[in-house]
Amino acid sequence: MADCAPTPNASDKMASLLKEAENLKIKLEEERAKLNDINLWTVAERLEPIAFVNIKPRKVLKGHQAKVLCTDWSPDKRHIISSSQDGRLIIWDAFTTNKEHFITMPTTWIMACAYSPSGNFVACGGLDNKVTVYPITSDDEMAAKKRTVGTHTSYMSCCIYPNSDQQILTGSGDSTCALWDVESGQLLQSFHGHSGDVMAIDLAPNETGNTFVSGSCDRMAFIWDMRSGHVVQSFEGHQSDVNTVKFHPSGDAIATGSDDSSCRLFDMRADREVAVFAKESIIFGINSVDFSVSGRLLFAGYNDYTVNLWDTLKSERICLLYGHENKVSCVQVSPDGTALSTGSWDYTIRVWA
Amino acid sequence: MAANLQQQRIINEQLRREANVPRIQVSQACQLMMKYMLEHESEDCLLNGFSSQKVNPFREKNSCSIL
Repeated sequence: MADCAPTPNASDKMASLLKEAENLKIKLEEERAKLNDINLWTVAERLEPIAFVNIKPRKVLKGHQAKVLCTDWSPDKRHIISSSQDGRLIIWDAFTTNKEHFITMPTTWIMACAYSPSGNFVACGGLDNKVTVYPITSDDEMAAKKRTVGTHTSYMSCCIYPNSDQQILTGSGDSTCALWDVESGQLLQSFHGHSGDVMAIDLAPNETGNTFVSGSCDRMAFIWDMRSGHVVQSFEGHQSDVNTVKFHPSGDAIATGSDDSSCRLFDMRADREVAVFAKESIIFGINSVDFSVSGRLLFAGYNDYTVNLWDTLKSERICLLYGHENKVSCVQVSPDGTALSTGSWDYTIRVWA
Repeated sequence: MAANLQQQRIINEQLRREANVPRIQVSQACQLMMKYMLEHESEDCLLNGFSSQKVNPFREKNSCSIL
């Protein structure tokens, strides 16, 4: 008997890994709890409440023949691109409500669309599992010069350009995120970790743009390092699907919105949840959130057709924006913070300012 | 089993990384967040409104004009 030492078999290895994971989770919770001395609204208690916000409906953009699923402001702060269940993209002049371009795609349910940083291209996709890039030129040329950049194994739920027109970051129902090179269509990095459909992604506003956040039907939000492909931080607390995630303008916190009818604020430096935006009377899910430029206002689009305005610091609801006649699917503050766009299953997009 | 094992190794690696994340007190993080928001309040048109509606590019144009 040359080798009598029993080699641990796979199930022993597994058991020890699971034990270690369990201990690490307990340690993590303990460390986070240790530093949880006070919550955000207590810190902000002495601050004057926001008495009145003068935000009015200004424009209604009509033209889609089905649910509006996603919108994105152009870097020029004037144009909006929208994508719809009807299989079309429309580029709008939000000042005049004119439709400047139509793009018809060979698919329905275009769940995501995004302007490139230069404003010269749009990326989009959805139930076709693909991310496709169109140059914004004349209508004929746009269709002719389209380029399929990447393909997932399930629907593409969200896309953004992280740094330049050269790269696109996507999230998918296949529970992964992916970074693509636009020119070659090459997969530069894939991001595995979620155990449910990825519903939303957002890029950190500060530094060099190597950090992003994702929200998923596994009820988690992950902070990723784009270069290594690793999860840096993970946040839990939601009781249902996380439909939307957004970085606070400071870059130090993220807001999430969920089917559990709450929005939450997670601080990255404290590594934990610091505020919950919910009321007993609110029983509908949230599809989309965004911050005003200072981060003091949190806008949230709900399934009950309303947009709620929250005071981020005091966790209090300031007011509701009424107007849409179906679920609010997307909300986005314009790049200079002067206006809010909202898209809905009622086929319209509205601009508030 | 081998695949599960590999997957669990990845999960553990992630948890080890997360356990080593530097953290600050929640009160300190909240103070910093409040400071940021108050410092940027003056730039926030949706919070403060426009100084005059004339500078609001989305305002309705007056449809009547005197001839």
